[in-house]
Amino acid sequence: MAAIFIPEGTARSISFSAVVGQERMKQALLLAAVDPRIGGVLIRGERGTAKSTLVRALARVLPARTVVADCPYGCQPTEGHLCASCAARQGRGSAVPLEVRPTRVVDLPLGASEDRVVGSIDMEQALLSGTRAFQPGVLAEANGQILYVDEVNLLDHHLVDVLLDAAAMGINVVEREGISARHPARFILVGTMNPEEGDLRPQLLDRFGLCVDVRGLLDPLDRVRIMEQDQGVVRAAEAADAALASQLLAARTLLPQVRVPRAVIQTAAVIAVDQQVVGHRADLVMVRSARAQRALRAATTGESGELEVSLQDLVSVAELVLVHRRRSFGSPSSPVASGDGEPVEQISSSGVSPSEPRASATDASEPGPDAEAGAVATQADSDGAGAETGSGPASPSPGESEAVVVEDAVPVARIQIPRERLRRHGTGRRSQTASKDRRGRYVGARVVERTTDLALDATLRAAAPHQLQRRQAAPPTEPHRLQLEKRDLRQKIRQRRIGNLIVFLVDASASMDAEQRMDATRSAILALLKDAYVRRDRVAMISFSGRTARVVLRPTASVDLAERQLSRLAVGGTTPLTHGLVAALDLIRSERMRDSEVLPLLVLISDGRGNISLRGEEPLVEAQRTAAMVRQERIRSLVIDSSRDHLAGTLAQGSAPSPRMAGFNFNACQDLAERMGAQYFGLFDVSEQGILRPVAEALRRPG
Amino acid sequence: MSEHRSVYPFTALVGQDQMRLALELNAVNPAIGGVLIRGEKGTAKSTAVRALARLLPELQVVTGCRFGCDPRGDRLCADCLARVAQGERPLPWQPRRMRVVELPINASEDRVVGSIDLEAAIKSGQRRFEPGVLAEANRQILYVDEVNLLDDHIVDVLLDAAAMGVNVVEREGISVWHPSRFILVGTMNPEEGDLRPQLLDRFGLCVDVTGISNVSDRVEIVQRREQFEADPEGFGAAFADSEEEERLRIERAMVALPEVEVARPVLEAIARLSIALEVDGHRADLVARKAAQALAALHGLPRAAISEVAAVAPMVLAHRVRTQPGQRPHDVAEVARRILGES
Repeated sequence: MAAIFIPEGTARSISFSAVVGQERMKQALLLAAVDPRIGGVLIRGERGTAKSTLVRALARVLPARTVVADCPYGCQPTEGHLCASCAARQGRGSAVPLEVRPTRVVDLPLGASEDRVVGSIDMEQALLSGTRAFQPGVLAEANGQILYVDEVNLLDHHLVDVLLDAAAMGINVVEREGISARHPARFILVGTMNPEEGDLRPQLLDRFGLCVDVRGLLDPLDRVRIMEQDQGVVRAAEAADAALASQLLAARTLLPQVRVPRAVIQTAAVIAVDQQVVGHRADLVMVRSARAQRALRAATTGESGELEVSLQDLVSVAELVLVHRRRSFGSPSSPVASGDGEPVEQISSSGVSPSEPRASATDASEPGPDAEAGAVATQADSDGAGAETGSGPASPSPGESEAVVVEDAVPVARIQIPRERLRRHGTGRRSQTASKDRRGRYVGARVVERTTDLALDATLRAAAPHQLQRRQAAPPTEPHRLQLEKRDLRQKIRQRRIGNLIVFLVDASASMDAEQRMDATRSAILALLKDAYVRRDRVAMISFSGRTARVVLRPTASVDLAERQLSRLAVGGTTPLTHGLVAALDLIRSERMRDSEVLPLLVLISDGRGNISLRGEEPLVEAQRTAAMVRQERIRSLVIDSSRDHLAGTLAQGSAPSPRMAGFNFNACQDLAERMGAQYFGLFDVSEQGILRPVAEALRRPG
Repeated sequence: MSEHRSVYPFTALVGQDQMRLALELNAVNPAIGGVLIRGEKGTAKSTAVRALARLLPELQVVTGCRFGCDPRGDRLCADCLARVAQGERPLPWQPRRMRVVELPINASEDRVVGSIDLEAAIKSGQRRFEPGVLAEANRQILYVDEVNLLDDHIVDVLLDAAAMGVNVVEREGISVWHPSRFILVGTMNPEEGDLRPQLLDRFGLCVDVTGISNVSDRVEIVQRREQFEADPEGFGAAFADSEEEERLRIERAMVALPEVEVARPVLEAIARLSIALEVDGHRADLVARKAAQALAALHGLPRAAISEVAAVAPMVLAHRVRTQPGQRPHDVAEVARRILGES
């Protein structure tokens, strides 16, 4: 889902000023452009809300940079922070050739390999002249510019780490592949994401100075303007962009003259403490943003001279700074942004109350598969200002008769899964399958039959000791040209953290404890997710009742999304067990298609007594046959028996057993488990812990 | 990049006394074995570590040695040993300021342990060893930001070197060893995941930092940071005196350290404390003794007393207390009060 780079000046690049509405997003981007030390902008929102469009358009209003013409890192002498060679030149007093260049938006595609991002050994030089040189990567290119990551929440873990490091220090340190280099990498980090596709790691979240939650526009007139624009009726507002660009430049110049009174800093601190933000970065960012806001205001009105930040400036930027920094499990005092008037379903509880603002209040009723969603997002974004926005407040999906609205206490426990063992087992599997695709962190090299992913540094090292000998045998055309032989070639071993995909398949048919079963599952899912961001696990839930199985939660790592989608779970009706198993198999198959290395874990919570047929066969036989497919497809699985009578071996009066089993000492669930190759757990009462414990155990075992 | 210019002064840090103390103790006695700083984001963890660099003392290093050997030390590298064998005794030395060597988390193994010098091999056919980060870090501070995100195989290499004080390289036809004794300093955000227990134990001290909720302190933090960024040089100059004072304090403590006495009753108190807390092994006892001694030296005291042990106990022991599943972990501070109160 890498974003396509649209060069400036092409017909598709829309003007910044022409984007309708989205004032908060514009404000955030402009503030970050006035003072890059604010630390970038994160834009969260549904697809088709002009996120990407606006970010790319920002390049049009950014002031040009004066850079050292022949510096690979684009050092800006006026800004300080020179690379080693520029600093040395300046130290010697030698003239440095300067050049004025436009500021660009540099893309970091999701699929980028780590060596492309941080830079790597220069292959051509190495092979032709046997010398080792550093070839700068995306971080070098982004120095002094905007680094844009679309779908930043989907960025590979190891790239996020690299990005964090560079963003924090403003320096890229490379110690890999035989290369040791460091260069300035000071950029404005801009990320966009759709929160429904998973959360961002808290560490990365905090690195973004500002954050905006965007929604589709609700004013019909605005929407009309978007459509008109899309049809080319409104031409790009070139003049407005030019005016904005000069304002930005003026604001930058004014910035050092803007004074921040102590009272403003104090207010920022009080706000930060009151909102229970984490760490101290919020105060600092608030003050800087307020100052940038003041400078921008002065530039717009043409003020000059002594400027002072007002409390109003602070207030106008505070929410941009705080929205992503409030503690997720904080006090209920923090405001919950819910722009569309729909009451946000609060799961208030004695223990934990999620009071973080909802990322996007409009609810896409049924998000499509992720890949498709991504494609649509890119398209819609580049087509123009959000022609395809959400449909406003969503009506709850038409549930079945008895909707359970959860409103009472759901204490959510955090489960601790020993990380070390998990990762070790992952490593083992990874090294077997890792070379299939070229993703993941390059951790080592080895000799393979056919080299498809060349580890250049390792290859060079392998070839190096033989060079003299080979040169004597066959004198090369160029003195230091490297002579490679097949046996020198080394394949990269790549490592990737593999996420688990935990699919809960829950019986929602009518029984005395159906609601309890759903509640327990729901809180188990939330507990898993609250722990999951550490490990990138995803959770899905399918429920079956009546005559259908329904995916009530698509695979997600987002606590937010799960809370919303699982707040109403329907129960009642008969038990279409086969339908459920088939739906689970389908879901796991399609996830495996997308990522062959995903580690699924199927968790069936049921009494195992299917009584509705899918293909017209005897329900029990059908279910048994489908269960066997779980084993065939090597899906790890668990069966949690929710019937109350399994230990006694007699049949319950309350539920409706299949007539064939009556009188037999037959445990339907245990039988299913055996056919699935699943671990079987019998429980008197299905509780959150009763679900979590076996799941945690299963995740710990090698798959 | 003139790094010194952009380093925030150590003495300009506001609050976070435990973190500062842990870093100072390590500067006074590197044998304490480093420090792990755990804390939420935005609490000046990295700033403090980088700031420490300027307060570090000068070392004597053998002139021309790639590994910065101590001319009077007993662990010389092979090159230095060869020079001694050839009669170069005493080895010539020069002063060098101790440094903070950074290990980026995406470092690859060849750059960490070192590998064959490519250019030399290709151009002249020589098999020469090119030192890596572990060589550079010898007798320095090795700093790993986000240490909990370090790849497992790099952690293994680090643990090996830390355990032996030597880096052994056997790869690509190269067979080399060199001293690699470093002070390991790591920072991490526990929200991002835990650290492997073996690696955790390698850190002499561990401190947890949290945000400051005092408003006037927070205002001070923002104001200083703003002043620093607006004018790093001016800001540095304003703190030059206090930095110099702090440097001298550490230097004096280093000189005094060998003379600071740790009496037997104090050692007994340390032992009782470790037993009461069910700490594995003896590393904790040794670290506690060194830390208490260093603290006394910093305070200009002739001997370390129970109060010094009490002051360092949490940072020495908190990360070494075993936590059994389902069992409440010991409250180190409380146990320390009880045990040390009896002494």
